[in-house]
Parts: sequence; C-alpha cells; structure tokens
Amino acid sequence: MDSQDSHFLYPAAIFASNKPFIVHTILGSCVSVCFWDSKLKAGGMCHYMLPYWNGEGLASPKYGNIAIEKLLEKMYSFGCEKKYIVAKVFGGGEVIQTRNPQFHIGQRNIELAWVQLKELKINVVGSSVGGKNGRKIIFNTETGEVKQRYVKGQSAI
Amino acid sequence: MSDLTDKELINELKKRFLQNKEALEEVQDLNIKLKKVNRKLEDSESLKGHFISNITNEIINPFASILALSKNILSVKKENWKKVFSMVSLIYSEAFNLDFQLRNIFVAAKLEAGEIFPEILNVDIKHLMESVLESFKYETKKKKIKVDYQFNIKEEENKIFFFKTDPEKLKLIISNLLSNAIKFSLDGSEIIIKAKIDKNNLVVSVKDFGSGITLENQKIIFDRFKRIDSGINSIHRGHGLGLSINKALLDLLTGKIDIKSQVGKGTNFTISIPENESQVSGFAFDGNEVFFEDTDIDEKAEIF
Repeated sequence: MDSQDSHFLYPAAIFASNKPFIVHTILGSCVSVCFWDSKLKAGGMCHYMLPYWNGEGLASPKYGNIAIEKLLEKMYSFGCEKKYIVAKVFGGGEVIQTRNPQFHIGQRNIELAWVQLKELKINVVGSSVGGKNGRKIIFNTETGEVKQRYVKGQSAI
Repeated sequence: MSDLTDKELINELKKRFLQNKEALEEVQDLNIKLKKVNRKLEDSESLKGHFISNITNEIINPFASILALSKNILSVKKENWKKVFSMVSLIYSEAFNLDFQLRNIFVAAKLEAGEIFPEILNVDIKHLMESVLESFKYETKKKKIKVDYQFNIKEEENKIFFFKTDPEKLKLIISNLLSNAIKFSLDGSEIIIKAKIDKNNLVVSVKDFGSGITLENQKIIFDRFKRIDSGINSIHRGHGLGLSINKALLDLLTGKIDIKSQVGKGTNFTISIPENESQVSGFAFDGNEVFFEDTDIDEKAEIF
C-alpha cells in the first residue's frame, strides 16, 4: 500500500481516478460520497460542506447537490456505467452541538445524499453517518474499499 | 378507540390540529425559501448570459488592440522610435488585464470543478505583497492613484518573515481586492493597503475612497457574475467573478473576508487568513515555487 499514489481530498473538492489511488479525507459535519465502478475498477470521492447551492458564491462542489452530480459526470468520463456504480456514504456528524434544527448541518448533509442517490438510482452498499464524532476515511479506488476511523475534537472539518 | 371520553377525544383532536398547523407553517416557510432560491437561480442564469457576451468583449477587445498596436509598431520608422514607448505601455496594460482576467476565469472554473487544493509553502509575505503592488503599478499610475502601503509586520534583523499559506491563491486574492479598489477609485485618489499579523492570522486590508457599496449590495457582491453596475453603459470593466473567487479561495484557506463601506466615502475590504499548521519545507517568494506533500495512511481502521 505504501507504494500507491495517494491524494488528500480537501473540503469542496472532488477526486476521481480510473487508476489505483488512495484517497483520504477528514470529515466533521461534511459528507463524503464515494462512487466505485465494479467493472472498470474506477472510483471517486467528493467532500461537501453544505447540502444545496442557493445561488450564493460559486456553484462549487462545496454544495452536495453539485458535488454528487459532478462526481458522477467524472465517473462517466472514464466510461463508467451507472449499473456498475455503487456508492458509500460517510460523515455528517454533529461535531458542534446546537439545539436549532436549522443548524443541524450534518443531518441535512446526510439527507441530501440519500435523496440524491435514490433519485439517481445508485445503490448505497455501505455507510457510516451521523453520531457526534468526526471521521477519517481512506478510499481505495481500485478495490472500492473504504477504511474509517473516528476522530475526536477540533481537527474535523 | 371507543374507550375514549369526549374530553380525551377533543384533546386528541386539538393536538392533531395543532400538529397540522405546525406542519403547514413549516411548508409555507419552506415555500418562501424555495421562492428565494428560485429567484436567485433565475438571476444567476441571466447573469451567466451577460457574462458570456461580456467576456467576449473582455477578451476580443484587448486582443484587437494588442494586435493593432503591435502592427503599428512594426511599421514605425526609425526616426519615430519615441512613439513606440507609449504603444508598448498600452500593449502591456491590455495584456496585463487580459492575463489577470483569464487567471480569474480559470481559477473559477477549477473551483467549480472541485479540482483546486491548497499548496502550502513558507511564504515571504513582504515580497509577495510588493510583487502584487508592482504588477498594478501601471494601472495605478494611469489613474494617478496614490498607493499608501503599510507593512506592519516586524521582521527580525536579517531574517525574512515567513507565513505558511498558499502563495498563488493569496496573490490572486490580494490582486482581486486591489484591482477592484483601483477600478472603483476616482482619478487622483488614494488606496491604503495594510498588512499585519494578529494572533497567528495574516490580516490584509485594502481601502479605497471610491463610490462605496450600499448595505443591500454588500450582501450580493460575493455572488458570481454580480456586478453592481451591470448596465450596458457601465464604465467599469470586468466579469464580476473576483469577489466570488476570493470568497471560495478564502474558504479553502479557512480565512475570512469582511467589508466595511459607506456610500460616497469608500470601501474597506479586510481578509484574515490563519497560518496553516502543517509541516512545510518548501519556500516561496512570489508564488511560483514547488512544494512537497506529506501524507499518512492509517492502518488501524474499520473497513467498509
């Protein structure tokens, strides 16, 4: 595993590759959706911070609805087909405690993933979402395997 | 159900009515939000349309003048060499603006594609600020604007002050602020630029004495393609991307941007960027160096 290429995925970014890659990221209330094509052994991951783009700022993958769409487009550009693509969803922890449901960003981020993946008819084969902790995840684009460890405290985004 | 007394039944009904009412209110609330978003998206769509026609002018006009000017230079006779100087400075100005605009457009495209990430280096802030100011020297000279530059970071003797951040992105952020300040300044006025360190944050402010921005407009200036005076007779050039790019880049560097403005008096933009905590070995003096990245892979993990 040491010899493999790796990429740290920043918030609001997307990474996808049809070559073996290790993609890792750290999640707090953000959510990562990993796509993996079982036929082509290609995979990609997004890391979004808010559910919907509301016309503010740039239409970047900071927003879930844009991130998932762009990630899928990228998968298609490798020649992936939807019927072979499966998804895994991580993150959305409530790392900051708040009573106002408007601010339950983690929860809203998770809901966006479920809604959008259902709409796209993409199977979710694994997930670890919610809770109060942040997560560190490592995604292998060749095998589709995702490793996760919980992280506590401030480091999570 | 038949065991319910009338009172219980009424209470239950009341409860359900209340729930219904709450649900209805929530739906109405969401509807209002949806309308707002819709409105914004419509705006965005039409602005995008403007943007394309706008950008055609922004790119084609400078190119046309660069071509024409350089053609003229080719036909200048030896005895008129002095004329060349003014033509070259015009070419430089057009090319500089073109380059700056294209840089912004490419960064915006990268941001929207999610393909941009911080490249952290030890940055010589003083040098970087000076190189930005230097690059706009001609623009400020053209409008006879006086630039008051205050570098308030103490440097130890014979030691350069380094700050861990992404030099290229910082440079673009400051350039965008400066470019706006110049654009909205009146001829012969002043721009004040300050740099300081406050609790491990790099704080840079750019103040102009131009027309200022109303409170209402302050809310929308970070939206893409938004130009406050987007009328066809607008005297200001540009594509309305600068501030939305700045916002997104600052997000990436976990920084902030603040605006203080009074109509008729001017605008003061302040950015604040925390120093990146990672270990960095690379150095940058004006944003063109390479860097090395460390990654760690965790073995003790759950597998999904």
